[in-house]
Amino acid sequence: MKRFDIVTLESPNRAPLRIEGFLFGSENTQGPSVAIVGAMSGDHINQLYVASQFVEYLRTKEEEGIIIGRILVIPAVNAYALNMGEKNWPLDKTDLNMMFPGYAQGETTQRIASRLFDTLKGYDYGIILEGRRDQGMCLPYVKLVQSGYEDLECVKDLGLGFIHYRPHDPVETAMLQYNWQLWETKAFSIVFGKNGAIDQSVSNEVHTAIVRFLSKREMLNIPVFEGRKSNIVDPNRITLVKASRAGILISKVTCGTHVQKGEVLGKIIDALSGERLEKIISPCEGIVTCQYSHPLIFQNSIVFRIASVELCCHLETKKK
Amino acid sequence: MGNIEEVLTIELPVGENFRIQRCRYAPTQGQSTKRISVVSGIHGDELEGQYVCFLLGQWLREHPDTIKGTIDIYPAINSLGIDSITRSVPFYDVDLNRTFPGSKNDFLPAQIAHGVVNLMRGSDFAIDIHSSNVFLREIPQVRIAKSQEDVLVPLANLLNIDFVWVHDAVTVLESTFAHAMNTIGTKTLVVEMGVGMRLGKAYGHQLLDGLLNLMAHEGILDIEPLKVRFPIQSHVGEVAYLNASCPGLFVPVIDHCQVIEKGSVVGHIVSALSGEVLDEVIAPIAGILFTIRAYPIVYEGSLLGRIFGEKQ
Repeated sequence: MKRFDIVTLESPNRAPLRIEGFLFGSENTQGPSVAIVGAMSGDHINQLYVASQFVEYLRTKEEEGIIIGRILVIPAVNAYALNMGEKNWPLDKTDLNMMFPGYAQGETTQRIASRLFDTLKGYDYGIILEGRRDQGMCLPYVKLVQSGYEDLECVKDLGLGFIHYRPHDPVETAMLQYNWQLWETKAFSIVFGKNGAIDQSVSNEVHTAIVRFLSKREMLNIPVFEGRKSNIVDPNRITLVKASRAGILISKVTCGTHVQKGEVLGKIIDALSGERLEKIISPCEGIVTCQYSHPLIFQNSIVFRIASVELCCHLETKKK
Repeated sequence: MGNIEEVLTIELPVGENFRIQRCRYAPTQGQSTKRISVVSGIHGDELEGQYVCFLLGQWLREHPDTIKGTIDIYPAINSLGIDSITRSVPFYDVDLNRTFPGSKNDFLPAQIAHGVVNLMRGSDFAIDIHSSNVFLREIPQVRIAKSQEDVLVPLANLLNIDFVWVHDAVTVLESTFAHAMNTIGTKTLVVEMGVGMRLGKAYGHQLLDGLLNLMAHEGILDIEPLKVRFPIQSHVGEVAYLNASCPGLFVPVIDHCQVIEKGSVVGHIVSALSGEVLDEVIAPIAGILFTIRAYPIVYEGSLLGRIFGEKQ
């Protein structure tokens, strides 16, 4: 294992920012290469945890001599934000994952992105561990945006239950996944967990999925169990259950629960009077893939996302 | 007197509603000709637009008989942010101006964006007033994507601003309010002036004259067009960026909006700890310093200023 600084940046008064990388496998390997990027935001604690645990896992596997590819893990990109409970770059509040491919002569976060991206270019595969941008928590899923260079087949090797496959939004043209794809790395994101927290079970699932991917893509010489047959989902076709009222949310189900049409999923109570304002009923049968995770909920917020079989099979059926 | 309405409300969890308020002025007699929306506070730390809204409302209250169109004033789109010195949408920490056109099926910031677009749908014009941010001080300027140059530059020239900056289209800006509104046929100008969290009274009065002039030209106000300044056009020159070469404390030595010579000193980056001058910031071209850093702490790369000058 080689531990090294990918980016260092002096601060006016703080100790310098260091973006550290952990490199495994031989420089001269004939095997494929992958870079795994962890927390880009200060609230992506679960992503930091999965990445650092993966460093520890690879360290032991390297001693066993079963690493046949080249594997780079970057657990934390935005350590400055992580160290002070901020989400974004602490001075100007810019989102580092909105600065790609970066600009070497530009503003601070553009320069950081540029230097990081220089290191990330040229890898065969790119795995981005992403948190959510809302107050939700979710089953781990693959987010694959369509850039014209995406590789849908390879992400199936993760064996995760769902692949969200969709056109890119305008804002995503400044994000790492999109730009990494344009530079011909087969890049994708694994979105999971709840921002600011660690879920051990979800972390294990993501860890196992990455091990499976590296094994199937011949970077780890290790036998693995088969994963799930991934359902390719158009996220716009997942059923949304919204809160008609604001208040305190009491959920009766968790992510991954198979629910029936008409089943009570939770309730919203008035935060002051305690009165029940709304009973939340499932409009369909399916799997709860995501739920609102903060106890205080806003009106019209999405409380649950439910994937139903008919809709999830839509893309696959169309392809056939 | 304008008609004040709550035009968008969303329940908040604990005994409060998120709200967007509008003050609408309409003709006292006859049919409205055109409709204009004056918008501020998409970013909660930008307050120059609040003052312009006040000045415009004050003027309209004093001259109700001149109103021939519908004039909608929205001083505080991100009302949670405006009242709490918060640039983004609080709770979500999301930049509202990267969330347009929004969706009613997405999280709160996207719902606000969706609601805002629907509120202003049908306006002939929208003026979106920003104050840069807390880091930079700007002279009054309008920024226009190149693809909309032909339609929007003539309109911007009426606004009594100092500079019209036509820039290359950046895809990420497709998620802004201005892009969303221009896409649905509302001619929308983005004004940047002043600095975040502060008011510059002179700029407010300057833009008020511009708004009155634009409305006079478009028949929304029955007044004579005002004599306004003709802005510098970006196509006649180029913009040079001054970025910090090292971290430290930036101390400017010249005033904002000053014409400077190539090679002149704009400021210094100094060390508060050692007492050293770490770098001298030099103007790479001659021209007008139309942006200067207002917040002194800098990292490598922090923007210190922008100079508009002749093409090299």
